[in-house]
Parts: sequence; structure tokens; C-alpha cells
Amino acid sequence: MLRESSQSNSALNIQATVDPGEDSGVEEGELMIAFAEAAVQRRDDLPALRGEIASRLSTQAAVDAAGVVANFQRMVRIADGCGIPLDEFTERASDDWRGQLGIHEYASAANSPSAVLAD
Amino acid sequence: MTTEIRQPFRYADTDWPIREATIASHRMSWELIARPGRWWSGAERVAIAAVTRAAAEYQPAPDDTPLPEAAIHAVQKLVVDNANLSREWYEEMIAQPGMSDARYVELVAVVVHAFSIDEFHRGLGLPLEPLPEPVAGEPSRVRPELAEQRDSWPPLVPRAGLNASDGMLYGPWEWGANVISALSLVPENVRWLHDLSEGHYLSFAEMRMPDPLRAISRPQIELIAARVSALNECFY
Repeated sequence: MLRESSQSNSALNIQATVDPGEDSGVEEGELMIAFAEAAVQRRDDLPALRGEIASRLSTQAAVDAAGVVANFQRMVRIADGCGIPLDEFTERASDDWRGQLGIHEYASAANSPSAVLAD
Repeated sequence: MTTEIRQPFRYADTDWPIREATIASHRMSWELIARPGRWWSGAERVAIAAVTRAAAEYQPAPDDTPLPEAAIHAVQKLVVDNANLSREWYEEMIAQPGMSDARYVELVAVVVHAFSIDEFHRGLGLPLEPLPEPVAGEPSRVRPELAEQRDSWPPLVPRAGLNASDGMLYGPWEWGANVISALSLVPENVRWLHDLSEGHYLSFAEMRMPDPLRAISRPQIELIAARVSALNECFY
């Protein structure tokens, strides 16, 4: 699911997706990451963070951010529930940085053996 | 005298500006869950959604669930332990009484779509929508003739085996991206996947746009997406 990030956002520091201490290079990136974490982890600061998105960006931005979280809570379960491997073009596109993220230690990496070998 | 049929997902009591495409995709999802599918009845599909909702709160399945034990376990695993699924687990699961590869695929589709809609509500602090009333009828039990075993666990269906209007959802490819074709053993799932993507994120066409019309930028969208994926330890 890091595919789109890697392909469409050359300014994005992909390391921030696995290490929130890193600067993502994205405007309001820290707030976006905090909101995503609070939603997935059911944290008590979720209401405050969505309020912060609403006040600093817009109420529509908070709705859109909640939609993205909801979408990827679905997509990861499709991917890992069906054991799909990386698509060939994704594997090629992420060859240069995938290994640095440490994601080959995820259990679902077993579904993409050629990518793990390359890492 | 006329009787008003209550539409689900009215969002009448919230100030959040919920997009029309989101509302439409939620309503369509509830309709799909309520209807008989290919391998589960409407009552069973609503029961899958009910177990999904309970699992998300770390609650057991409702006492009156009509689902086989293996199905309950599959739902719970998909919701709360999705980072630890494996091919061995899948193969054991589909060999259990009341299960098969096709019944598993249909179950996954109901789980992930119901869960996603509930997650949207939780993200905005909205009450969860009551589950739909099941529609009576039998599952069609039609398995696509062109289903083929490829690298993912369940068999997949190529473009030629999809419902007539859905072939373009694979883009220019015979098999589509792996995540798009993952649930195609029940071909209706490909359209469902697309329509809820459009409602919560981007349509397949918008995914190719550098700056789709949303209130957060494309980099912000993808940063959230990637962080959610990492939190779920999803390699894909």
C-alpha cells in the first residue's frame, strides 16, 4: 500500500510512514499521521485530532481524512486476507527503498517471496 | 396514506460534510450485505457484519448467530489479527465444515466493507448505522467458470469472467492489480471494491490523477494511507 506514496510523491520521506519521529516532508504531515494512528489504535485523542484538522484545514478535510483511514483499514485486510503478492511494477518501483523500511519482517511479506529475497 | 421508508445513512444529525458519493456507497454496501450472495444467504451476510462489528469491540459473536464456527473465527481473525494471517491458516480455514474458497472470499468482502464503513463512523465520532434487515432468498451458488489459481490464496477471475459492465475496472490488464482482483472469485466484489473506494478515498480513475479534488492533498492522502498500512503491518 506504499505504492501510491512512492510513485506520486517524490517529496515524501517514506521513512515517516514507519517511523513517525521522521519528518514526512508533507504539509501538516505530523497531524495526518497522528490522526491515522489515533483512529487505528482507538486512542482517546482522536476527537481532538479530528477537531484540529477541521480547524487548521477544514471540516471537509477531517471527513476526507477519516475516509482514507477507513479505506485502508479495508484494503490491508483484503491484501492480507487473500495473501496477494506485490504487483510486479510495485516491486520494481520500490526496490530502491523497500528494504530500508524493515517491512520485510511483517508476516505478510511471505506472500511476496521474490521481493523479500531482493531486500 | 403513504409510509416513508427510512433510508439508511441519512447523516441528519451531524454537521460533518459527508460527500454524496460516500453516502451512496454506504447505502449500496448495506443493500449488498442484506441480499443473498453467491454462497451466503442475506441473513448469513448480515450475521457476518454483526460478528465483524462485535469483533471490532473485542466482543464475542452474538449468541444467535447462524454462522458456522469456522466462519466466526475467520471474521474475528480478519478484524483483529489481520497482521498474522498465513497461507496455512487460509488452507485450514477453507477445509472446515461450512467453508470453501468461494465462501471465504464472500465472507472477506462482507467483513472488510462493513468494517470500513464502521471505521469511517468511528473516525468522525458518529454512531454506527443499524445493520440492514436481511432480504430473503437463496444464494445463487454460481462459481465463475474462468476462475484460476494464481499467486494469491483464493483463485482469481480474469477480465473475461467479470460481470459485463465491470471489465474496465481492471484497467488495461487481463487480471487487474492484485488487490483489485483479490476478491474476484465472487465477481460482484470487484464493483463493490471500486464503489466504496470512490466513497472513502478515490475512484480507480482518480487514483491516476496527481491532484484529485479532495480537501486534503494527494501527499496527505497517501501519507495517511501508508501509515494505516504500516500500523497493520501490511507488506503489500
